[in-house]
Amino acid sequence: MPRIDAGPPHYKEMLPPIILENYGKWRYHVIPRPGVLKHVAENGAELYSVRAGSPRLVSIDFIRDMCALADEYCDGFLRFTSRNNIEFLVSDAGKVEPLISALEAKGIPVGGTGNSLSNIVHTQGWVHCHTPATDASGIVKAVMDDLHEYFTDMKLPAKLKVAMACCLNMCGAAHCSDIAMVGVHRTPPRVNDEKVQKGTEIPSLVASCPTGAIRPNPKTKSVVVNEEKCMYCGNCYTMSPGMEIADPKNDGVAILIGGKTSNARTAPSFSRMVIPFLPNNPPRWPEVTEAVRHIVEVYASNARQGERLGEWVERIGWEKFFILTGIEFTDKHIDDYIFSRETFRTSAAFKF
Amino acid sequence: MEKGPASPEIKEKVLAYLATVEKAKSKEIAAAIGEKKADVDLAVKELAFEDKVEYLYITTTFVALKGKVGAPQ
Amino acid sequence: MSEKKTPQLDELEKGQWPSFVTEIRKAAAKNPAAEDLLGLLERSYEEKKGHWKHGGIVGVKGYGGGVIGRYTDLPEEYPNLAEFHTIRLNQPSGWFYTTKSLRTICDIWEKYGSGLTNLHGSTGDIILLGTTTENIQPAFDEFSDAGFDLGGSGSDLRTPSCCVGPARCEHACYDTLDACHNITNEFQDELHRPMWPYKFKIKFSGCANDCTASIARSDCSIIGTWRDTLRIDQDAVKAYVQEGLDIQGAVCDKCPTRALKFDYKKNELNVIAEECTRCMHCINVMPKAIRPGQEKGATILLGGKSTIVQSAFMAWVIVPFMKMEDDYEELKDLLRRIWEWWDENGKTRERIGETIYRLGMGKFLREVGLPPVPQMVFRPRANPYVFWQQDEINK
Ligand code: HEM
Ligand code: HEM
Ligand code: HEM
Ligand code: HEM
Ligand code: SF4
Ligand code: SF4
Ligand code: SF4
Ligand code: SF4
Repeated sequence: MPRIDAGPPHYKEMLPPIILENYGKWRYHVIPRPGVLKHVAENGAELYSVRAGSPRLVSIDFIRDMCALADEYCDGFLRFTSRNNIEFLVSDAGKVEPLISALEAKGIPVGGTGNSLSNIVHTQGWVHCHTPATDASGIVKAVMDDLHEYFTDMKLPAKLKVAMACCLNMCGAAHCSDIAMVGVHRTPPRVNDEKVQKGTEIPSLVASCPTGAIRPNPKTKSVVVNEEKCMYCGNCYTMSPGMEIADPKNDGVAILIGGKTSNARTAPSFSRMVIPFLPNNPPRWPEVTEAVRHIVEVYASNARQGERLGEWVERIGWEKFFILTGIEFTDKHIDDYIFSRETFRTSAAFKF
Repeated sequence: MEKGPASPEIKEKVLAYLATVEKAKSKEIAAAIGEKKADVDLAVKELAFEDKVEYLYITTTFVALKGKVGAPQ
Repeated sequence: MSEKKTPQLDELEKGQWPSFVTEIRKAAAKNPAAEDLLGLLERSYEEKKGHWKHGGIVGVKGYGGGVIGRYTDLPEEYPNLAEFHTIRLNQPSGWFYTTKSLRTICDIWEKYGSGLTNLHGSTGDIILLGTTTENIQPAFDEFSDAGFDLGGSGSDLRTPSCCVGPARCEHACYDTLDACHNITNEFQDELHRPMWPYKFKIKFSGCANDCTASIARSDCSIIGTWRDTLRIDQDAVKAYVQEGLDIQGAVCDKCPTRALKFDYKKNELNVIAEECTRCMHCINVMPKAIRPGQEKGATILLGGKSTIVQSAFMAWVIVPFMKMEDDYEELKDLLRRIWEWWDENGKTRERIGETIYRLGMGKFLREVGLPPVPQMVFRPRANPYVFWQQDEINK
């Protein structure tokens, strides 16, 4: 008889002895090399966390491989970070370098600490979701291949948190990242009356549209879309499979930048759209990887030490950002959704 | 916080109401049978354990008599 | 089947970053559904479109969430994907594991599923990708015997998650792992039996660095802080000076409130206590010398969500300081009052932040019984359009 509502395993069963002994008693940490955090406790105990990248979508063989490494180098204790990195919890300083060599021999990169690019938080995409405007794992793989050096080194001005969401549901929390890649549609849904009639609650479907573009059509017992009002968010498709929004010829990726969630120095902020559309070009999305690399490089060579991407842009001004990157500014960059006015410049002070 | 067992009358009323519809949200059931939503939630929980009703996630969560709604076509 | 070509996916096995395609291929060697997944994904790459249907009619006895139905729209061509459901397992606090526990998961998943997983999903769960309707209950039974339980899905409390906290971080202002475990166990009905207008996420971060991105990713964000003064160790300050740290430039000048004064002559760093907003910047740069204060607790923020539908919201302050003690009774009581209000007032598929936005903070605060305080806003309103209450006007 299975237990019901027993809750998750207790975390204390999962902690290595050094953490149980020093729980809540850590004094400080340093980063002796990229990919390694050294935490020192009040009593002088030292814990080394070796951070390694993972594709997030992993097989049980991969997990078993990582377990074998953890058994060999850190008594079988490991954890995962909020950005899908793996951290090996090593209490014997002598085993840090051998573990890193063993990881690298398996093609697992070590890095993601301090002023580096961490792993890209992302979503399911074509692998396992019904609403994507693009794939997630494939773009992430292509971008991480391209920016690999920024993961394994700490040569950026500050941390760089990148996120990828394959539709505007944004399961992966893209809206407050330094750089966000977001799958977008560009054409209104095509109403399939037969599917809408079958099991869709028309009032809920009508109510789901944020712009009021959907009206009931009593004649067909379905709905019609006012295409001028639609901004292609795809929320109606989530409500009904009859609102077909996927459009291979027009779906693609938008790039937003400059968000953050930490409170350090400046308040948390949303990312802002700088590239409204790049085409879906599988398997390697060259337009997307190139755009991201370009933004990272302009940031890296212009920002002051310690400045997050958004802090840098806010200091120099967004008008300056478009000049430095050469990204074209268009009418599409100016918000026309519901909270737009607060983004308009109500001041005569700006740069040229 | 132990919530105690559900009221057998409310469970009967929930089943009777679900027999008249394809599926419903627990808030709608509560309104239809004139009971507090918290009591309906508890009744639905027990009925689910008894395999008489099930939860369905179709854009939001609904409750239906077990087996009444099939997989998507 | 192995002669099926996947030229596009093959491209994604090249390059230095570990490849998810390689992972699917490993699973495909043992599991026909994973093999079909390679074919289906290649097809998506060719056609630039997904091949999954809306799903959802599967579950475990007694549970209303934790399993997500998935069906391909091409079942004739990919019969092993006709059913390819997701199981969400509730992760242990802080995502700590022993290899023994991970191997147990692998063994059960090898028996009942595709062998593919996400470590972890965006909400925090262990995501097991791909099993059949028939296998769900037996898989759950074995996971349950092994000490695991389902996470949330649907219109319920989603699996709470937390940062690494006191287990390995000197900044933690409360025990995020314990709080997460405690709250998860307290609200099992809310997690497993959906009953609300929509989903509700809780994330616990031990300090304002907010490593779980709770302010953006959760409806209720619980961020550690302190109410007294941060502590400075002057000997350690001198050691940083010795190491060559530019304390004026890298620390004082970047303090958002200019609360730090560096005395060059004495090599002493002092804080104007009442000016500090506890942003964590100076502590991040000088962890050996500066520490949070001693009267610790958390700030509670509410309303964070993503862009669908009313634009993205970041969570905003509703309780500036709460002690995280006594079995978290104060927090639990607050959560219950919030949920009751939302259940009463929320429309279907409306997140708590949207409900409050639609009906007004004033109404929310009055009805949930929270006192308005200036910490809730950056600045007060710029218009005089106040909704006065009946008892506030002269009759
Ligand atoms: C010295 C200061 C800091 C320390 C000691 C620190 C420590 C940590 C630790 C221990 C983690 C792993 C947390 C977990 O997975 O639960 C982490 C992750 C993270 N931290 Fe910090 N952090 C610091 C500063 C910051 C700052 C200033 C930011 C943002 C501006 C930040 C953003 C993040 C993010 C986004 C993650 C997830 C990273 C990942 O999983 O790769 N942290 N940090
Ligand atoms: C660029 C910046 C963005 C960032 C950094 C961001 C970040 C996030 C985060 C962290 C989440 C929480 C995911 C979770 O539940 O774990 C999220 C959810 C979401 N985001 Fe965004 N997002 C961004 C932009 C957008 C945009 C432009 C849209 C839509 C137009 C959007 C729509 C959503 C939606 C619908 C959700 C689900 C939210 C929920 O209800 O939990 N996001 N986003
Ligand atoms: C009715 C609308 C929605 C449906 C039907 C839906 C369905 C799903 C499904 C089926 C999955 C599992 C994918 C898989 O692992 O196989 C999923 C994952 C997820 N969804 Fe949704 N979703 C909806 C809306 C949202 C919204 C609005 C958000 C966020 C604001 C969201 C956040 C998430 C998150 C965080 C995950 C985990 C994704 C991951 O781990 O990569 N979902 N959703
Ligand atoms: C939303 C409500 C308000 C409306 C509709 C409103 C409308 C106006 C109008 C029509 C004018 C005349 C502008 C002109 O033709 O020169 C004016 C001027 C003024 N209003 Fe308001 N007002 C509002 C709220 C306020 C508030 C709350 C304050 C003060 C806190 C305020 C302070 C003033 C002042 C000082 C002027 C004179 C400004 C100047 O001539 O430089 N108003 N307002
Ligand atoms: S972001 Fe959209 S497409 Fe991607 S997994 Fe989430 S709901 Fe699916
Ligand atoms: S895509 Fe969005 S805006 Fe367009 S009709 Fe659907 S819900 Fe409305
Ligand atoms: S949120 Fe604060 S306490 Fe938690 S891991 Fe990050 S830095 Fe440490
Ligand atoms: S915590 Fe932030 S506000 Fe407070 S003194 Fe340090 S830098 Fe200044």
